[in-house]
Amino acid sequence: MEKCKIIFKPSNKTIEVRKGADLLASAVAAGVYINSSCGGEGVCGRCKVVIKKGKFQTEPTGRITPEEKKKNFCLACLTTVEGNLEVYIPPQSRLELDKTKKEQARVYRLKGLYSESAEVDKGKPIIDEGIFTHSPVSTKVYAELPRPTLNDSVSDYERLIREIKSKYKISIMQAGLRNIRRLGALLRHSDWKVTVTLGKRNETTEIVIIEPGNTSKQNYGVAFDIGTTTVSGQLVDLNTKKVLGTKGTHNKQVMFGDDVITRIMFATEESGLERLHHAVIDNMNSIIKELTEEHGVALNNVTGVMCAGNTTMMHLLLRVDPTYIRKEPYVSTANFVPVIRAAESGIKIHPRGLLACIPGVSTYVGGDIVAGVIACGIDNEEALTLLLDIGTNGEIAFGNKEWMACCSASAGPAFEGSGVSCGMRAIKGAIERVEIDAKLNAKVKTIANSKPMGICGSGYIDLLAQMLKKDIMKRDGRLNADAKTKKIRKKDGELEYVVVPKNKACCGYDIVIKESDIENIKRSKGAIFSAAAILVKKFNLTFDQIDKIYIAGGFGTYLDIENAVTIGLLPDVDRKKFKFVGNSSLIGSREILLSYDTMKKAEDTARKMTYVELSKDPAYMDEYISSLFFPHTNLEKFPSVK
Amino acid sequence: MELLKEKWPGKIAEITIGATNAEGGTRASKITVGGETTLPFLFHEGDMPNMPRIAMEVLDTEPVDWPEVLKKPFGDALKDPAKWAVKCQDEFKAEIICVKLAGTHPDFGNKSAEDSAKLIKDVLQAVKVPLIILGSGDDEKDNIVLSKVSQAAKGERCLLGDATEKNYKTLTASCLADGHNIIAESPIDINIAKQANILISEMGFPLDKIVINPTIGALGYGMEYAYSIMERARYAALIDDKMLSMPFIAFIGQEAWRAKEAKTLFSQAPEWGEEESRGILWEASTAACMLQAGADILVMRHPKAVDVTRGYIGKLMGNK
Repeated sequence: MEKCKIIFKPSNKTIEVRKGADLLASAVAAGVYINSSCGGEGVCGRCKVVIKKGKFQTEPTGRITPEEKKKNFCLACLTTVEGNLEVYIPPQSRLELDKTKKEQARVYRLKGLYSESAEVDKGKPIIDEGIFTHSPVSTKVYAELPRPTLNDSVSDYERLIREIKSKYKISIMQAGLRNIRRLGALLRHSDWKVTVTLGKRNETTEIVIIEPGNTSKQNYGVAFDIGTTTVSGQLVDLNTKKVLGTKGTHNKQVMFGDDVITRIMFATEESGLERLHHAVIDNMNSIIKELTEEHGVALNNVTGVMCAGNTTMMHLLLRVDPTYIRKEPYVSTANFVPVIRAAESGIKIHPRGLLACIPGVSTYVGGDIVAGVIACGIDNEEALTLLLDIGTNGEIAFGNKEWMACCSASAGPAFEGSGVSCGMRAIKGAIERVEIDAKLNAKVKTIANSKPMGICGSGYIDLLAQMLKKDIMKRDGRLNADAKTKKIRKKDGELEYVVVPKNKACCGYDIVIKESDIENIKRSKGAIFSAAAILVKKFNLTFDQIDKIYIAGGFGTYLDIENAVTIGLLPDVDRKKFKFVGNSSLIGSREILLSYDTMKKAEDTARKMTYVELSKDPAYMDEYISSLFFPHTNLEKFPSVK
Repeated sequence: MELLKEKWPGKIAEITIGATNAEGGTRASKITVGGETTLPFLFHEGDMPNMPRIAMEVLDTEPVDWPEVLKKPFGDALKDPAKWAVKCQDEFKAEIICVKLAGTHPDFGNKSAEDSAKLIKDVLQAVKVPLIILGSGDDEKDNIVLSKVSQAAKGERCLLGDATEKNYKTLTASCLADGHNIIAESPIDINIAKQANILISEMGFPLDKIVINPTIGALGYGMEYAYSIMERARYAALIDDKMLSMPFIAFIGQEAWRAKEAKTLFSQAPEWGEEESRGILWEASTAACMLQAGADILVMRHPKAVDVTRGYIGKLMGNK
């Protein structure tokens, strides 16, 4: 069998494959990530690569323009390897690991959140004054044991427990056999000075790790938000409660489908579940690895991981078959998952470190919204609050400390920059603000002020609102071909508006918004607004009666509330009621990582929430269709939008 | 005991089709519909100042899919739209003529815009009643044909259609320029009906010149679905949703005569009874239901069905 060698640029990763192999699969095998949302069907056009050298064959596709074809662009999934190749992966096809930029600074700190880090003396857990007590999932304590004597001949294990109980007032319930087997030698070799990692496993406290010497100052955890489209992680010092860094990346499972349903279907294929599971574990491990390397933290000092995510994501993370989620009567295998060893799922931290998942409410409302409720403190307040988590699987919680209800809306990934032709996540180079001037030209601002590469969710919200105001777009989302600008043009039989011309962008093509993109965004905003409207109506309330509306989601650094109302994503109520809270799921995940006592609150919240199944509500479809208009078919619901 | 009465704050817009000499047109009569302040025929709760009207359908090409029983009353007139229109006006007492330019469709004759404009002029010469003019349903061709036809009928205050939420701009602009009314069509969907009205009115088109075509189904073919959508729209209008406060037009004839119960020959289904009255009853029953749903203009085909329906309207209005 003939072998061919492929070099991928710019990473310089290489691989040998058989002649005739599929280029996208070869890249995956080489550990090179190439964007693909259709799973290699040749449909999405996201896996564009440039063949610099070598022989290949590629199927013709409309996704490659004639100009691109001249430059040897092709879709990796439609290309077979015919000889040694040098392949360049252009920026737009690459997965960029990036910082979600100082999330701390921009996130409005909400009342009821974990209080700022206080001095912690000698690794001793202290009771915090805040609402949440400082009680990380895994705590390290240092113990100097008195040597055994003939008078004090209690066993090694009991000696250790006795010491911890007397010094730290912690009752240990259990320890693994493995720890006990090692204990005798370990204590004697370490001169009776050891650091013990205590883990919270549901109601009990157990000895997780015993190490020689004093490492109690080095105890770290990672909080995760596992989204359908985006995975974010945050490295936290479990002693000082300080956040060391945050990273976000595309969920690699996107390769196997854009939404949870496609992925559940993929999971039923041969080795599908394994591939989905490995994809997300890879995501998490690379985030952990980069964060720990950047901050000089040894992997062995990471002792706990906390995850929030929708129910399907949690199933895939734990490699639990999600098949039954999409079959009537839509029952998941587990919404409350016990604390397990991280290593059992493949997560690489300390081999005995713990993994905890925030409980979910139902099959379609997961731990992410529970984490969001905790982060925003909704369950502590009298105020009637609506929390809109705008993600691929949009989730909405509504209530206060007395009661709570929730629902989910399949919004699609448009606000996360997927499924739209020039969309991207809220990372460097993404257009996040747009204004359109009197000559109908767009003025844009990008994240980090770098050259524009694409448009992120907040950019699309601004863009649509501006296009509507300037009559570039009609209320039904069609572009106005009669508008006096050359920026509106017809390409491939479809109208589009040029936001940034090629020469001012760094992606090598004009950044445009097509009518089909608008259609996708319209459906996303319609799904979210109508779900919220139905949920509120279910309780015989109106938007005006709500005290606070929190908006969460990966919008990056900015969200223009006024524009979001203009396009009908958010209800037209007093703007003072709105607060943009960023990634509330990640914040909640961190709070629970730092305060395991809060896990009880999360469990209570999850149990308390009434799940409203929208598909059963006859009014939902009607409300959805009337939301497919800018801002809404019932314009009178948006009196301030003219 | 006192009867509980609903007080509606809203009112359906009144629209007038046809312009007389004094108004810059050439029509001998004009027709006003709409203006309701109550659900259909509930005179104790509000008023229905204008009675529902029946328009008779005339095609620009000889119909190919009409059954014999439907063709018979018109005879040779089917070959000449102007004669056909005259027959409807004089013999069958049609108050409005609805000309459908079906033959302009690229797949069914592809007649030119110029021919259509001439045809409309001929019909306007031949009859004195107001006109409804419809395209073929092919968006691109309609945009060419209807703008010519609109010019040809300038000043006659016709009712032109159909504008859809996907294709409304050209027709709206033409109707605005030439002083016509417009039909806004939606696929049995109250939201899209409203959206189409908003889009059209945002081009500066007056709300009291729009007629809603909610699209209907005939008896046995989704009639009750159409009924419920019309009922909901009418409720919304009566509680003062201006974007739904327009009269309805219902295309009874084309739907009823599509039903196999209306078309099938006696020889093919003797158990269904004789074909002579079957189709007529199918059309008249559909019309009766649509009147109850709130239809203001009924577009019909068979003269006998028209007769029966006219009698029915008369009786209902007699209770006023």
